[in-house]
Order: sequence, then structure tokens, then C-alpha cells
Amino acid sequence: MTADLGFWVLQTLNALQLSMLLFLLSVGLTVIFGLMHFVNLAHGSLYAFGAYMAASLAGVLGYWGGFLLAPLAVAALGAVLYFTLIRSQRRAGPMAQVLITFGLIFVAVDATRLIWGDLPIGIAVPAVFEGQLALLGVTYPIYRLFIIALGLAVLAVLTLVLTRTQVGAMIRAGVDNDQMAACLGINVERMFFLVFVVGCALAGLAGAVAAPVLSVTPDMGLQILIPTLIVIVIGGLGSLKGAVAGSLIFGFVQTFGAVLLPTFNSVLIYALLAAVLVIRPEGLLPAKG
Amino acid sequence: MFAHTPLRLTTLTLLAIGSLAYAFVAGFFGLEILAEIAILAILVIALDLVAGFGGMVSLCHGALMGVGAYAFTVAANEAGLGAFPAMMLAVALSAALAFVIGAICARSIGIYFIMATLAFGQMAYSFVFQSPLFGGDDGLSGAPRPDLTAIGIDLTDSRAFAIYAIAMVALTYLVAAATLRSGLGRSLVGLHHNEKRLRALGLTVWRAKATAFAISGALAGLAGCLAAQHTQYISPGLLSWTVSGEALVVVILGGLGTLVGPIVGAVLFVVLKHEISAITPYWHAIVGLILIAVVMSRANGVFGFVEARMAARKSKPVLQKANADA
Amino acid sequence: MLETRTLTKSFGPIHVTKGVSLRLEKGERRVILGPNGAGKTTLFNQLVGELTPDSGTILLDGADVTSLRVADRARLGLSRSYQKNTLFDGLTIGENLGLAAAVALGKGQGLWRDPLQSAEVRETVREVAAQVDLAAFLDMSVKAVSYGIRRQLEVGIALATRPKVILMDEPTSGVGPEMSKGFHRLLKALPRDLTVLIIEHDMDLAFDVADTITVLNYGEVVFDGLPEAARQSQMLKDIYLGAWEDA
Repeated sequence: MTADLGFWVLQTLNALQLSMLLFLLSVGLTVIFGLMHFVNLAHGSLYAFGAYMAASLAGVLGYWGGFLLAPLAVAALGAVLYFTLIRSQRRAGPMAQVLITFGLIFVAVDATRLIWGDLPIGIAVPAVFEGQLALLGVTYPIYRLFIIALGLAVLAVLTLVLTRTQVGAMIRAGVDNDQMAACLGINVERMFFLVFVVGCALAGLAGAVAAPVLSVTPDMGLQILIPTLIVIVIGGLGSLKGAVAGSLIFGFVQTFGAVLLPTFNSVLIYALLAAVLVIRPEGLLPAKG
Repeated sequence: MFAHTPLRLTTLTLLAIGSLAYAFVAGFFGLEILAEIAILAILVIALDLVAGFGGMVSLCHGALMGVGAYAFTVAANEAGLGAFPAMMLAVALSAALAFVIGAICARSIGIYFIMATLAFGQMAYSFVFQSPLFGGDDGLSGAPRPDLTAIGIDLTDSRAFAIYAIAMVALTYLVAAATLRSGLGRSLVGLHHNEKRLRALGLTVWRAKATAFAISGALAGLAGCLAAQHTQYISPGLLSWTVSGEALVVVILGGLGTLVGPIVGAVLFVVLKHEISAITPYWHAIVGLILIAVVMSRANGVFGFVEARMAARKSKPVLQKANADA
Repeated sequence: MLETRTLTKSFGPIHVTKGVSLRLEKGERRVILGPNGAGKTTLFNQLVGELTPDSGTILLDGADVTSLRVADRARLGLSRSYQKNTLFDGLTIGENLGLAAAVALGKGQGLWRDPLQSAEVRETVREVAAQVDLAAFLDMSVKAVSYGIRRQLEVGIALATRPKVILMDEPTSGVGPEMSKGFHRLLKALPRDLTVLIIEHDMDLAFDVADTITVLNYGEVVFDGLPEAARQSQMLKDIYLGAWEDA
């Protein structure tokens, strides 16, 4: 019985860890979409860039230097992208956006290959979080618990900012109705920029925390993109709650699917997505009623 | 609405003459490239039919092509069907799958349609990747080429195969053009402009969308059969969404919604790929930059750009005359 | 020909249609009047099936169509035009009419022949173009013609399905008084067996074409009768003329 319980605890922790990583990625992407109606397929590439930056900086400044600076570096890259590509394409329609950011993926993959080479890079877990922790009859790597805690902390901060601050109220108004927000005298342009850059920084943060558990490779951005998109489409484009729900659903279906239904595992999540799109084409918790 | 303008007919004629002439003089490597262009051309004509004319931007056409390739290979190798019956079966299967996807996604618009097709495409990819029948990650080899020795054609010869692939492009183009000029094709263009109005006029919208998607899927399946016959080895990578994305890139580079443009795009794409990758291993980055430049320039690809220029030149004298009269 | 029985629809606490019962005979031309927000367009949306009523029945030619979908009702001979132009923008005027005729003739899913070239469709396009005075513009792109011409096309598309009943939602909204009058002459020249229901803002023009008048206010029918009676009704003047003059 304890072994049984241990199995469930272990898999639940695994699922939570995957969910939190996806949450960090999807929340930026979905709020950017909700606010600016912009589909950024290169969001995964920003995550990969974050991981590479963290790996490189860790060699010089240690893990925590990379952890803090990688999101900033990605935010800076995001700012450059915003002024060169994103802003002018905001009203260009989903197809132009999909194509331009698809082109960016091509460029990003080759740029990382050029700078960091084709071979995977690994970095060590920081000393504080080395080792395992005994928990409810299982031992679990402390670093993975840290990822879960970090995801929950980011969720708490974002919830507070969105519900309790003036900026948050503006963002919610903007997602609800962009014209109304402009009428209320909100500087929409500055708000877009802020949200875009914060979304990029969160993608960079996700890359930085994922770097020690996954191997850092040029195509890691491409690999995470599809799960991220699935998360936000299941959850409903544009909503924070949707990103949370979508991340949890994806994390748990993927993790428990792999151990309970190994033969159907990879089809399972796509079938779920298809079902959601058929029954609720706008996702489970869309931003707009 | 779709029409054969003199520019389009001229371009088609030049493409046909050029490719056939090249097929007779090219060496082995050139012929391989010619076949590659032909297969990509079939896929992008299929995609332009729904994306360019019907506004249904699909990210599952790679998967539909892959399903065709796998169905053909399994039907020919495991079920022992002849190459042509196996092709027909594969095309029918791709069409049926596309019909189901089109019917389910008919309610989704814009980015939701793109995401929904992406999901179905990846579902097919995962299924093929995991299923032992399809060889998983290793793929399958030994897809046969049709046996036309009865009429004196040996398709194992790369020259004959290239010409056969060009003939299939012509067939694909004829099917797509005929579809666009049929009632369904007219409705498809109407749906792109105003779905609500067509419904109010009495069109069963989901069925029109699903049927158009099925025809496009059949053509993508045909491209898959040819791809399997060409390399005689197929892997799940054929179904990946990046293949669909690349096909969309080719359509855009050539000219969305022109049917002729995507063929031009296929020629440019394959030639550029071989030319650039001979110089640098980072050819994807170059393609990405070209793509970004084309989309940001707001020109409708290479062919679309020429078409718009020709139209402007044609209407200019009329305008000047009108000004002179006034 | 077209009948509604106690049609009711509300969005939350707001009744947009409240127990509306109408009965149009074959060939009748009825004008619906009412101030903004009276529920006229919402009524049309329910009649054609774009909105589902909460309760009540809609009968077309004696058959209950309440549960039928938009396209199914259209195939039974119900057609509508929109207050806001709902055209096929990238196409020519002739293609707009041809597409509508082709779909109505059941050729919208055909795989073999080009319906725009078929004799039936061409004949319909020619007739409708004459009815709405568009014969000179058939080869022009919708994008290239004036707003007034687009308004005529809006009604032309609805006519191209050869309907038994046509609903026109403010066909002359946004065009000048001269064009409105010309348009009403075209309306009067339509075949007498076509049943017409029009939402109209301009009272004088309404009296000009109407056989009968229905007035809606807050989703309710407050008047139903002949134009003369409507013209003399003090109640209508009191409640609605003010609103129209403001508009």
C-alpha cells in the first residue's frame, strides 16, 4: 500500500513539475495573445535562449548569476523583437504573425547552433538544492521541488498583480476590450510593451530553471512549443486561469498517461485537445465570456 | 474568383516546357532535384487550394502527406497490393482523414483553425511514431515504384521517374483548377470572404469546408505516395508539423491564392535549399530571413508581386486616359 | 406565408422580443417601424435562425421552422438582407449575385460544372441585376463601387436566391433621400407574389411602400394595421414620432 501511495506521490510531483514549467511559458504567451492578439510561435525560442544564457552565465557567475541574468537577457531580446517585428505586425492578422514568428524560429535555431554548437550543454544543479528529500514515503530531488515552488510563487505574484494593482486592472480591461481600454485613457502602447517583455522574461526564467534538468539543445525551443500551444488552446487564449488549468491538465495527462496507458500516451493529449476544440472551440476558460 | 489570366497560362507553359526540357538533359542529381520539386509542388498546390482560396490555413498537410506515404508503403509491402491500387487506397485514406479533420475544424476560425489542424497533424505524427506496424522512429523502407514496363517505361530510371512526377503535378494542377471553378470552389472563395452570408443563402458550410479539405487532403496524399516512391524510405518526420510549416512558407514565397505561384515557390525553395546548403550549414536561417522579409514587404510572394505589377501596368493607361479626358 | 406565435427572447434580464405574433399573407408588404433598440433586428435574426428564440413558434408557408438551422430555412425560400453590408468583398457584383444564385439553386457543393456559367444562374443574375438596377455594374469589383451601389447589391444578393419571403433590414440606411426614393420605386416594381418584410427608419418612405405596418417598442408589438390607421394613431405620434425626429 505504501509502495502504491509512493507511486502516486511521485507521479503527482512529476506532473506538477511539468505543469509549472509549462505554466511559466504559457502564461506570457497567452496574456500577450489576449491583450495584443499576437501569436508568437517564437516563444519557445525565447525559452531556449534563456536556457543557453543560463548555461553560459553559470560557467562564469555560478548558477544564481545565470538564473537572475538569463530572464533579463531574454527580456532585452524581447524588447528588440518588439520594436523590430512585433509592433508593426500587430494588426497583420494571424497568418502573417504565424509566418513571421515561424521564420524567427528558423533563424533562432540556426543562431544557437552558430553560437553554442550542435552538442547538448548541461549545467549542474545549484549546491543548495542538491540531493533528495524524503517526502510522504518517497525521495524526490530537491531541485525539482524548487521548480514547483517557483511556479507557484510566480502564479501567486501574477495573480496579485492582475487582481490587486492598477496595472493589473488595466491589463484585464485591455484583454476584455482593447477599445474600451484606450478610451479609459490607458497608454495601450506602453502596456503592450510591458506585457510582452515580462512574458519574454518569464519564458527566459523557464529556460533557466529547466536547464539543469533537461539537456540544452538547439531544438529545445521547437520541442516545447507544441505543448505550450496545447496548454493555451485547451485553457482558452488570453486567460491566466486558462493557462493554469491548461498547464495542470497537460502535466497530469502527460505524466500519468506515460505510466498508466503507455501505448496511447502521445496520442492522448492530442485527442484531448481535439475534444476540447470540438466541444468548446474557445478553450475551457476563455478570457472573454 | 479563380481565373486563368494570360500571365498564369504563360507561366504554366514555361514551367511545363522548362521542367520537361530539363528532365531530358539533366544528370542524376538534377533529376533527383526535379522529382523533389515536383513532390513539393503537389503538396503546396493542395495547401494553396484550402489556405489561399478558402482561408483555411492548415498546419496538418505534412501529416496528410505522411499518411498517404505510410498507407501506400504498408498497402504495397504488407498487403501486397500493386503500386497503383495502393496509391488509390492511400489517396482515399488521406482524403477521408482530411474530410473528418475539415468537418471537426469547420467551426474554428483564424488562429483556432490553425491550432486545431496542428493538433490533428501532431496526433497523426504521434500515432505513426509509436505504432510498431509503422516501424516507429526507424521508418519503413522498400516502397515500390509503379511498374509501367508494359508500355515501355521503366520508373526505376530517375529520368522516367522525374517525368512521371511532373505528369502528376500536371494532374494535381488540373484537379485543383477544376475544383476552384466548380460550384464547391466558388463557394470556397465565398466562404473566405463572408461565411455568415453564404450560410444565410442556404449553404451547408461545414460540408463545403470538409469536402474542399478532403480534395486537398487527397492531393497531399498523392504527394506522399510519390515521396515514398521517390526515396523508397519514409520516416515519421514526414508527418511533423514543421513539414506543414515549410509547405506554408513555400506557398507564401510563391504567392498565396494564385495556384501558379506556389509551383514557382516550390522551384525556388528547392533550388535555393540546395544552393545555399552547399555554401553554409545554416540555410534554415536564410530561409527564415527571406520569409520574414517577404511577409513584411506585404507583397503576395514572388508570383503575386509580378501579377500585381502587371495588373498595375495594365490599368495605368486607362487611368491616364481617364485623366486626360477629364 | 410567414407567421410567428408569441415569439420571446431575452438576454439576461432584458426582453428583446416579447410575445411577438405576426402573420404575413402571400404577397404582403409589411414595414416594421420602431425606435432604436426596439428589437427589430433581433426579430429578424430569430426569423432566419441566426438566433434561437426562448419560446414561441415560427411558421414558414405553414411549416414549423423554429428548430431549423439558418441554411435549411434559406432553402425553404426565406432570404434576408443586412443593415450593415454583408457582401463578398473581393468579388465582382456579377460574381456576388452569381454565387448567391448558385448556392440557392443547390449548386454550391457541385464538383463538375462552373455554376457561374450555367444558363439558370446567368438568367437569375440578369433578372436580379435589372430588379435592383445593377446591370451596368456587373463586372465591377465590390471594392470599386459607391456605398449606394453596395446597398443595392446587399438586397440583390438576397433576391438572387429567388425567395418566397424576403426580409430587408433598413435597405436604405446611410444613403441620401433621393437614392432612398429611387430604391423604393425598385421595391414597388418587385413581383407581387413575393412576400416582403422591411425594417425602415424613415416613416414617410415606410408609408410609401407598406401594405401593412407593425410597430415594435421594447420588443413588443404596439401597433399592427393599415398605414392609414398608423398615420392617424395619436398613440404612435406621442410615443414614437419624437424618437424618430431625434434620430
